Amino acid sequence: MSTVEITVTVNGSSRTRRVPDRLLLADFLRHELRLTGTHVGCGHGVCGACTVLVDGATMRSCLMLAVQADGASITTVEGLAPPGGLHPVQQAFHELHALQCGFCTPGFLASTIELLRENPDPSETEIREALHGNICRCTGYVNIVKAVRRAAELMRAG
Amino acid sequence: MDGPAPAGPFGARLPRKEDPRLLRGEARFLDDIEVPPGTLHAVFLRSPHAHARILGIDASGVRDIPGALVLTAADLPQLPPLRPDLPLPGFAVTERPLLCRDLVRFVGDCVAIVLAEDAYAAEDAAELVAVDYEPLPAIVTLEQALAEGAGSVHREAPDNVLFRNQVTTEGFDAAFAAAPHVFRETFVGSRVATVSLEPRGCLARHDPGLDETVLWSSTQVPHLVRNMLCEVLGLADTAVRVIAPDVGGGFGVKASVYPEEILAIAAARLLGRPVKWAGDRQDDFLSSSHARDMRFGVEMAMDADGVLAAIRIDVLANAGAYGGIPFGSSIEAGGGPRTFPGPYRFRHYAFRTRAVATHTTPSGPYRGVAAPIAFMAFEGMMDRAAAALGLTREEIRRRNLLDTADFPFVNASGIRYDIASHHRTLTKALALSEWEDFVLRRDADPDKIRGIGIACVTEQTGQGSTRYRARGLLRIPGIEAARLKMEPSGRATLAVSQTTQGQGHLTTFAQMAAEHLGIPPAHITVLEGDTAVSPFGSGTFASRSVVAAGGAVITAAEVIAKKMKRIAGHLLEADEADIVLRDGRAEVVGTGLSVTIEEVARTAYAMRPKGVPPGESFGLDTTEYWDQPFSSVSAAVHVAEVSIEKATGRVKVERYSIVHDCGRVVNPMIVDGQVHGAVVQGLGPALMERLVHDEHGQLLTTTLLDYTLPTALDVPDIAMEHIETPALDTKGGVKGMAEGGTIGAIPVLLSAINDALRPHGAWIHAIPVRAEQLLRIIRTQPGTPEG
Ligand code: FES
Ligand code: FES
Repeated sequence: MSTVEITVTVNGSSRTRRVPDRLLLADFLRHELRLTGTHVGCGHGVCGACTVLVDGATMRSCLMLAVQADGASITTVEGLAPPGGLHPVQQAFHELHALQCGFCTPGFLASTIELLRENPDPSETEIREALHGNICRCTGYVNIVKAVRRAAELMRAG
Repeated sequence: MDGPAPAGPFGARLPRKEDPRLLRGEARFLDDIEVPPGTLHAVFLRSPHAHARILGIDASGVRDIPGALVLTAADLPQLPPLRPDLPLPGFAVTERPLLCRDLVRFVGDCVAIVLAEDAYAAEDAAELVAVDYEPLPAIVTLEQALAEGAGSVHREAPDNVLFRNQVTTEGFDAAFAAAPHVFRETFVGSRVATVSLEPRGCLARHDPGLDETVLWSSTQVPHLVRNMLCEVLGLADTAVRVIAPDVGGGFGVKASVYPEEILAIAAARLLGRPVKWAGDRQDDFLSSSHARDMRFGVEMAMDADGVLAAIRIDVLANAGAYGGIPFGSSIEAGGGPRTFPGPYRFRHYAFRTRAVATHTTPSGPYRGVAAPIAFMAFEGMMDRAAAALGLTREEIRRRNLLDTADFPFVNASGIRYDIASHHRTLTKALALSEWEDFVLRRDADPDKIRGIGIACVTEQTGQGSTRYRARGLLRIPGIEAARLKMEPSGRATLAVSQTTQGQGHLTTFAQMAAEHLGIPPAHITVLEGDTAVSPFGSGTFASRSVVAAGGAVITAAEVIAKKMKRIAGHLLEADEADIVLRDGRAEVVGTGLSVTIEEVARTAYAMRPKGVPPGESFGLDTTEYWDQPFSSVSAAVHVAEVSIEKATGRVKVERYSIVHDCGRVVNPMIVDGQVHGAVVQGLGPALMERLVHDEHGQLLTTTLLDYTLPTALDVPDIAMEHIETPALDTKGGVKGMAEGGTIGAIPVLLSAINDALRPHGAWIHAIPVRAEQLLRIIRTQPGTPEG
């Protein structure tokens, strides 16, 4: 099995590791770097639980190899807010009960942050369209949609 | 919400205590746990055949993978088979091997455990194990299983019936024969997978020095898992600890004890190394329980006014290859007739029900179990009867709904209803949904046909020990417990015999206890999911938590509150009866005299100058058990509006309204969230979800590409109101409620679709309703415009 040395900036710090060439980015983040907030719900690119921001854009870390992230800057759920704090999107999810088991949540947070950067005041339909690549089995999406609107308000205000 | 806003923690929309760590990625789900050094990673080698003889297993190929090894049934000869059903009337006693030795009975049956240094190597090694199978004919469907000469899945059940029951109430035949109208139809459910977003998994460790065996498992039932590990492996329960870490959704699918959990412990003990299995999505589709491959044949007899006279049903449930543990093969077949009577007043009831074995993945509990299909059948018949008798759908229901004067009521299947407000719930739901104005919306879009549906449902929650004894499920104690321990600081820990998979127990139970203790919920830390920490109980399933464990929580809080009042009375030289606990203080009502709760707690632990009252014991620490004597029955009325695109047959849920009554609500925000999620778990099976097998029993839907789940685009906003009719049979007036959303969603969506199809003269009675089916009806049965 061949290994490759990669350097990735994760949540602001540069990490260099020698990894097997077939190692998935999700496994690299979770098991090599111990950033276990990124979850794997399907492993085949449908559920969106593994979504992270790679150079600012959402990516499914179960469909990407760690070596493909060489040189990239990655933000995972652990890096959204300073320690002990909550990002406005996290705050809105908390206030409006947009999570139950929380397994899907990191993926929804990433998708929401991308949406609100591109569209600071999305309509309900735009929110539903932007999130339709993330599956939640607990909430029925009702409060997630509300929380995204609330997050947009918080971010515009602040 | 009826009534004034709550003053105390009980009833408050309190944001959840569990959220911050989940939001920050700090939770520890099974696959997040840092494994102990030396851990072996397991892959379960599963049968690719639905039915086959195993002629041989050649694992020599795995030598190419350093450190890999394979365990088959031959390596674990001491492992007995599971016996899911007990020798009770109506049950066939069959066996499930933990690892198949000679015969496999479904695609996914475990044949070997492949272990290696990491999960990638274990997958590689699994590819190198050669199993020689002789495929045999597979029984896939209910029809095949019940056909003459079908063959048998189990020798012990030659006719493939694993469980049967038949009941006819006294006077049924006469009542049925006398009724002027009889309506008949067969309703067919769709076989579905639960798809908790986190697949199952476990981590097993044995420490021979301490003689301690620990299993971390993504389970809803740690105590039941521990009991099974002890039963099967012959271990002492004092030496086995089961921990459910954060669990990414359960909904019933993780309420069974699975072979992988027992095999992981067996392998860890045999090899002297920790063993981890993190199941993937394909494992989950193949091996986690399937659900609701059911049919209900209904014969509904009514008098000339549309009043129910007698109902006969014939229920079939595809149980799959084996019964599960602890619910056995009767879970769905037993639950169907039990839940069927719903909110309606009728006494003459006859049913026959059978659980049927096939060469498919075992069936098990999933949100609402059989009830969503039972109500799809009942409510579907009510709609048909209304149409035939020229009554509106709301009127036929009004004529049959139980009224205040009927309570307490024992329904035709023997379930007691303490109190409910069915008529008020219906009236409110019609108003909330603007039912009367639907005529104005029906033809709003010329490219679409629209329909509106209604479903009145009940949900049996909070079952206790008597219910499980009556069902022959002796592995389910049915009781729950809570240990409340107030520390000298005046803060408390509350260890509950349950686990939480997103339901918000850490918040809800704290609110329930806080009401009695006079301290804020933030000062109560709820602990769950660890058999070494939590008192003994059954686990989280069947909407039992708030009733069964809540009963224990309230009892424990009452015991501690009483003791605090005695101590405070002693400190304040007042009568304990005059003491109230609130806002962190114990005060003598109307006097302004008070002490802090902390002062009371420190006194209880001998940390203050003054001691406890004479004869009083030290400490503020109690464990209380609760056995819910009667199930508590929640109710809801759902109204849904759908549109069907004429060009494509695509169904869109346009509006959705619910009026819900689950007694006193502890945290409305959490309750609303549970209902939302449950509705979508009904919307999926009604409109899109379906597990498909080919004729050889091969499961064709093993990814989320093939098995379509609802996304944010498929789901409407949900309007919801609560009626709070306090329960009489439970502690705190609460009722369970986590499944009613699913139970209502399937019938109401079918009702709405059938309403849209009325001009086309078609009735659909099977789910999922598919676009091509609707398109065919719209094209080939133009029908008449509704006059
Ligand atoms: S785990 Fe990557 S999309 Fe599901
Ligand atoms: S909160 Fe459980 S899957 Fe979304």
